[in-house]
Amino acid sequence: MPRLTLEQLRERRQAASKQVRPGNGEFKGKITVHMGTCGIAAGARPVLAAVHEELEKIPNSSVVVTTSGCAGLCSREPMITVALLNTPPVKYGELTPEKVRQIFAKHVVDGAPVIEYAIDSGSEFFKKQLLLVLKNTGTVDPERIEDYLARDGYVALEKTLTLLTPENVIEEITRSGLRGRGGAGFPTGIKWKVCRGEKKTPKYIIGNCDEGDPGAYMDRSLLESDPHSVVEGITIAAYAIGASRGFVYVRSEYPLAIQRLQGAIHQAREYGLLGEKVLHSGFDFDVEIREGSGAFVCGEETSLIHSIEGESPEPRQRPPFPAQVGLWGCPTVINNVETLANLPIILNRGAEWYSGIGTATSKGTKIFSLVGKINNTGLIEVPMGITLREVIYDIGGGIPGNKQFKAVQTGGPSGGCIPSSLIDLPIDYESLKEAGSMMGSGGMIVMDEDTCMVDVSKFFIQFTNDESCGKCSACREGSDAVLEVLTRISEGEGRQGDLEFLEELGRAIKDASMCGLGQTLPNPVLSTLRYFKDEYVAHITDKNCPAKVCKPLIKYYIDPDKCPGCLLCFKGCPAGAVKGESKHVHVIDQAICTKCGECLEICPPKVSAVVKLSGKEAQELQSLPAPVPVKEWRARRALETGTGVRR
Amino acid sequence: MRPEESQTLPIGAALVVGGGIGGMQAALDLTAAGIKAYLTDRGPAIGGVMSQLDKTFPTNDCAMCTMAPRLVEVGRHRDIEVLTLNDVQSVRGVPGNFTVTLARRPRFVDEAKCTGCGSCVANCPTRNHVQPLPSPPLELEPELRETLATTIARHKSRQGPLMPILQEVNATLNYFPENVLRYIAQETGYPLAHIYRIATFYSAFSVVPRGKYVINVCMGTTCYVRGSQGLMDKVSEMLAIKPDETTPDMQYTLKSVRCIGCCGLAPALMVGGEVYGKLTRKDVPDIVRKCGEAA
Repeated sequence: MPRLTLEQLRERRQAASKQVRPGNGEFKGKITVHMGTCGIAAGARPVLAAVHEELEKIPNSSVVVTTSGCAGLCSREPMITVALLNTPPVKYGELTPEKVRQIFAKHVVDGAPVIEYAIDSGSEFFKKQLLLVLKNTGTVDPERIEDYLARDGYVALEKTLTLLTPENVIEEITRSGLRGRGGAGFPTGIKWKVCRGEKKTPKYIIGNCDEGDPGAYMDRSLLESDPHSVVEGITIAAYAIGASRGFVYVRSEYPLAIQRLQGAIHQAREYGLLGEKVLHSGFDFDVEIREGSGAFVCGEETSLIHSIEGESPEPRQRPPFPAQVGLWGCPTVINNVETLANLPIILNRGAEWYSGIGTATSKGTKIFSLVGKINNTGLIEVPMGITLREVIYDIGGGIPGNKQFKAVQTGGPSGGCIPSSLIDLPIDYESLKEAGSMMGSGGMIVMDEDTCMVDVSKFFIQFTNDESCGKCSACREGSDAVLEVLTRISEGEGRQGDLEFLEELGRAIKDASMCGLGQTLPNPVLSTLRYFKDEYVAHITDKNCPAKVCKPLIKYYIDPDKCPGCLLCFKGCPAGAVKGESKHVHVIDQAICTKCGECLEICPPKVSAVVKLSGKEAQELQSLPAPVPVKEWRARRALETGTGVRR
Repeated sequence: MRPEESQTLPIGAALVVGGGIGGMQAALDLTAAGIKAYLTDRGPAIGGVMSQLDKTFPTNDCAMCTMAPRLVEVGRHRDIEVLTLNDVQSVRGVPGNFTVTLARRPRFVDEAKCTGCGSCVANCPTRNHVQPLPSPPLELEPELRETLATTIARHKSRQGPLMPILQEVNATLNYFPENVLRYIAQETGYPLAHIYRIATFYSAFSVVPRGKYVINVCMGTTCYVRGSQGLMDKVSEMLAIKPDETTPDMQYTLKSVRCIGCCGLAPALMVGGEVYGKLTRKDVPDIVRKCGEAA
């Protein structure tokens, strides 16, 4: 295909926009199957097959089938969207091939939406969100550039190349107040300006998609669902700083994202949106993908640079900052891919409009992955400054199973836990930092009463301890020492003075570490110590795990008053620790029990005879010496208490 | 002097051969006993192996903290003469009366004038040249050699070729056998030690063979709070291996992975490129069986 001129691009865009909406073009209906990684894992492939199968049965239907990325509401995958002429599109969730057949029969053929499978698009989950970066995800086909063009794709790039000088672009982005979406929140415009001012050439731009924070997956979803927005963004950034080569660094754990981005880059090259003389202007730029290989520290910018160079991926001292001395010693800007995807939006709609969204210091929107113990799990995009309460209760739909909301963890292993008492906290860079956490890349993991905070901080320290590159001893040895103390506490071997030691050590690690990983690694411990000290104290003094998670501190116990002697747990126990026979009250042999929890899972909810005990209850536990017939036990209890047997 | 006299009188001088931590301490002890000590070492500086260590077994004490005071003391001690770049040629005589011949190798630097500023090191044009050691002959199957050669040829001209090469080789072989790493070193010009460092740094790489199916249980935060430890325990129990181990039939390797970005489907695990979500322990046997059947 010949490389396009500006005019040709505009023509193509117009032609494409006619094709995407039902009615404008040759078809009157469109069915979109959402095929992100989560969709596919939840079974989107058989759903897609069923859609094709059903469609073949309808002759001359003029309904087209496309695929797209994630639609945001991950807990309801697999999903499809049915858009028919003159009716609003309907999203269906939790589908199976069988349900697809019903939807075809009723909705596609007869035009009557199947209400029971439909997702309420007027619900709070959608209403409170402000979709800017995610506006295309779940709508465009990530493998077709026309879909992106039809939705004003590459308009911002056109504008940049024809109307703006690089200085104008930097100026506009600076005025918009855009800050890095990777976590630290450094103002993007300022970073660019430094790099632009450097004399040394060549310059490089790197898109950072080494999304290592566990619990965050917005970058993956962005690349899987709307890769062209990142390609457009990185091209604009390159123009602004004067780079002619760019890299996108993607984790190897995201094979689908890599594949789709590769496809997008290929198409953009064919169209002349990348390569020599972009859109026949004087600007040359090309981009290539570099893959990570599973190292958390590579998300740190200097470490990422070393990884691309093929050097040992350890961070180095800053300054000089990468914007001055970066990849192969040349000035390099590293932006998170979400930051890059924000650029076309700002240039299309103006810095004033953009800076009107959000708070005084944090502008625009932020994508969060709302996960954990929450009803509506998914990717959400909200304006900065929204409160946690709105996110968790309105958008998230609250905690499943009527459990108590306990804390929300933001910022991954570098962040902290925000307790339920701070639920009205507005979400922006500064207030999260003040609360002892940080924005991070945007993971928001909701925890309920069944989550033990000591266990959570142990989990994070284990993570950072594993992932510490070992270059500086404060991080390497410090995380070892913290982990040792936390492990001791969670095993009921905590001592007086441990908490003071943790605090002191945490501060020392923060001060003495070189890169972000070390400087933030004590955060999970320090923030839980700040808000949940009583839980630590319970572990140390009472040997009690209030959430009943820490295995050495709990015991499984079968309540003889409730056990009907059904043999389910007896058969299910992998260790053979449950003693019993039919119609006899079962007993757990504590000496054999491995505390795997299988019995608790197996015990039917209406019986719920298996319970976890901790602290004093566990220490004073006296179980029956041997299984007793259920009838005999109940008679004995009735005598003791003087009441009738309840069940 | 007769031998028996020498055992009672602290006279004369002693030569300590080897300027490591033991030699330095010996020299210091000798001078404390009133005997002049000559400390000789074949290297250009004293300090020996310990100066290259970070920590010492078994106490994990910092090596430099043990060593530095002794280095300083030896250096400034009036009764210790340090003779570096010396080889012992011969030792003759009887206890109490030895004659030792040392051969001194040239330093090419005037020790009297040198201030130890180090700028000669920084400016040496051959400093960064890798001195290839004679390595054992490479034994590679011709087919494998060809695959590797094409991979290397494809990436060699790129800037920063090492990671793409290693990633591609890892994808085909599943791990890096030693001869493969040697071959890559030989063909790319990177030192083997550097390649080894990279190959052992990333968790996606391995230098030990892995099973046909790598079962990655996601241990990201979301999966963890939703009970992925239980999944891990179940797989571990089923296959009778611990995390990071491989079954003896080389079919399965169990690994924990840090977030596969499927938090909406927590807890999840990944085998090959396939993600399985919303799992409970009951689902594990099916998934493991499915891999086996595909084989």
